[in-house]
Amino acid sequence: MRISKGALLIVIAFTAPLIVELRTVLAWVNVELTVLESVVLSIGLIVLILVWALWPQEGTPQATE
Amino acid sequence: MTNTYIESFPAEAKVVRAAFYSSFLALAIGGLFGIIQTLHRTGYYRFIDSADYYTVLTAHGVFLVITFTIFFLVAIFTWAITTSLDRPVEDIRFTWFWYGLMVLGTILAAVPILAGFTDSEMSASVLFTFYAPLQGHPLFYVGLVLFVVGTWLAGADWFRSWLAWKQENPDERIPLPTFMVLTTMLMWYIATLGVAAAILLFLLPWSLGIIESVNPLLTRTLFWFFGHPIVYFWLMPAYMMWYIMLPKISGGKLFSDPLARVVFVLFLILSVPTGIHHQYLDPGIAEGFKFIAMTNTMFLLLPSLLTAFTVVASMEHGARQRGGSGYLGWLKALPWRDPVFAGMALAGLMFAAAGFSGMINAGMNINYLVHNTFWVVGHFHLTVGTGVALTFMAVTYWFLPQVTGKALWNRSVALGQVVLWFVGMTFMSNAMHRAGLLGIPRRTAEPQYEGFEFEAAVGSVGELDAQIALGGLLLTLSLVLFFANIIGTVLNNRSDDLPANGYADTLSGPSDAPLVLDNLKLWTAIAIVLVIFAYTFPLLSIIERGGLFGPELNELPVSIGLGLEYLWTTVVTTVTSGVDTAIAIITGVR
Repeated sequence: MRISKGALLIVIAFTAPLIVELRTVLAWVNVELTVLESVVLSIGLIVLILVWALWPQEGTPQATE
Repeated sequence: MTNTYIESFPAEAKVVRAAFYSSFLALAIGGLFGIIQTLHRTGYYRFIDSADYYTVLTAHGVFLVITFTIFFLVAIFTWAITTSLDRPVEDIRFTWFWYGLMVLGTILAAVPILAGFTDSEMSASVLFTFYAPLQGHPLFYVGLVLFVVGTWLAGADWFRSWLAWKQENPDERIPLPTFMVLTTMLMWYIATLGVAAAILLFLLPWSLGIIESVNPLLTRTLFWFFGHPIVYFWLMPAYMMWYIMLPKISGGKLFSDPLARVVFVLFLILSVPTGIHHQYLDPGIAEGFKFIAMTNTMFLLLPSLLTAFTVVASMEHGARQRGGSGYLGWLKALPWRDPVFAGMALAGLMFAAAGFSGMINAGMNINYLVHNTFWVVGHFHLTVGTGVALTFMAVTYWFLPQVTGKALWNRSVALGQVVLWFVGMTFMSNAMHRAGLLGIPRRTAEPQYEGFEFEAAVGSVGELDAQIALGGLLLTLSLVLFFANIIGTVLNNRSDDLPANGYADTLSGPSDAPLVLDNLKLWTAIAIVLVIFAYTFPLLSIIERGGLFGPELNELPVSIGLGLEYLWTTVVTTVTSGVDTAIAIITGVR
């Protein structure tokens, strides 16, 4: 793991503000999403974070905290 | 055996524990009204009459922003004084007395609030902002008075401890936690003069029928004299935790003791002369006075920005002590698994967001756009609802074992709870801010109007309502987890494996702080002078125009009103008789 489980939980929590304002940000560049599309995109974002965090890092000791 | 608080100060630990439990009870009741209100207002589930919404709002506000916060702070202030001075209170019976007075005041104020749900004529659905023309039952005001007097006596208890310590340590600097408690209480003594005057001179005699009327603008102004600094009364204990506990739990030391003292001195002198910024939309107060209040408010950003710097610097120091490195890589080394740390850090982050919406509220011209909208509700759900409440819940996970001697029931549940609060409040307060920008009003059960639709730039009002309801549900779930942990901890067996009582050491200690910072008389005098500058002329002007006890009427509009009425009657009579005559003539011709 690249970060600890606690830190991973916090990073996922930090995506909440991004998720709720993602549609507004995208609307500025004329990309208008439905609620369903936003939810799908948000789940995708969280999956990406999980993949990044859980992907083993070579030569780095496992985080335990 | 470990050196926990309950072992060092067993008698004080009982009072602190009682104050915590009182605080948590208020949190439970206030939280319950919170979810009722959320579901009602968003229209998802309505089982109360909309006419009772104000009563729900009052209970939610009073139980959370007065009872929950203040019982909690008297608990941690008692801990801070005894721990930092390393001495018990001078007379534990006196400590129990002020605590008892606060409990009695709470019960007396709660009875008329809750009676608002019954058919009884007794009620006090006056909101947390309990100024005229809303009138509560006398018991509500008596309860508030007793509660505030209880806090005054608590302050006296802490000053007494400090004076006794000072006699024995004449050349020592005031320990930082004690310094923070004393400056906060000095601010509180000055601030509560406004509410004491409002209740004792006007609202209580008015509700008892001793005086017939009050000057609404005067009571509003006296309320806000107290109503804004009370925000700092909630906030300064949270700041105290960020200064003296967060660095310790991060694994490091407080970056600067002198800077922390400067911050608390700034709060003491700048907190009170700002209340008029809540009255930008009140007619009857000249723009100039409002501008002065705005300027004072902007100065208040300074201590908050200094706090942001000092606290983050302390956290970084802690992280680097734990092996963190890099520009941002040190963030990974912080103890995110610890609910005490994670809760306080998330609370601080949300409080930073609240600071930005606070700047918008403080600006006179922008305030006009958002003042009576849901935006303001979003703002204070970030400040007191998260910055303060989440900090208090997080530090409970450290304090409860200290005052009970029992280990925390479940650390993972605690971590989940603080994270859930952060996420829930993100949804709720974000949607509230956005709804405010659309002009959706606050303080109403049914914000919709016939023949008018609020339009969102992105998404819809229905989605904002859904976000608010979702946020409310997550917050309620978070509260359930919090109480599960409290009850589980209290039911636990005593543990010998608890961390020792204490607070963070400092990188730059009290000896680096200029001696003048400890001159409490000087700062109090400056605070009083600033209050006199800010409030003398507005108050004189209000009294001159509306009188001390009269409704704010003066002769000019009355005579204009009478003149218009006379003119209208004359016009109507003339037209009617003219029409009658015309009809008679026409009829006669026919």
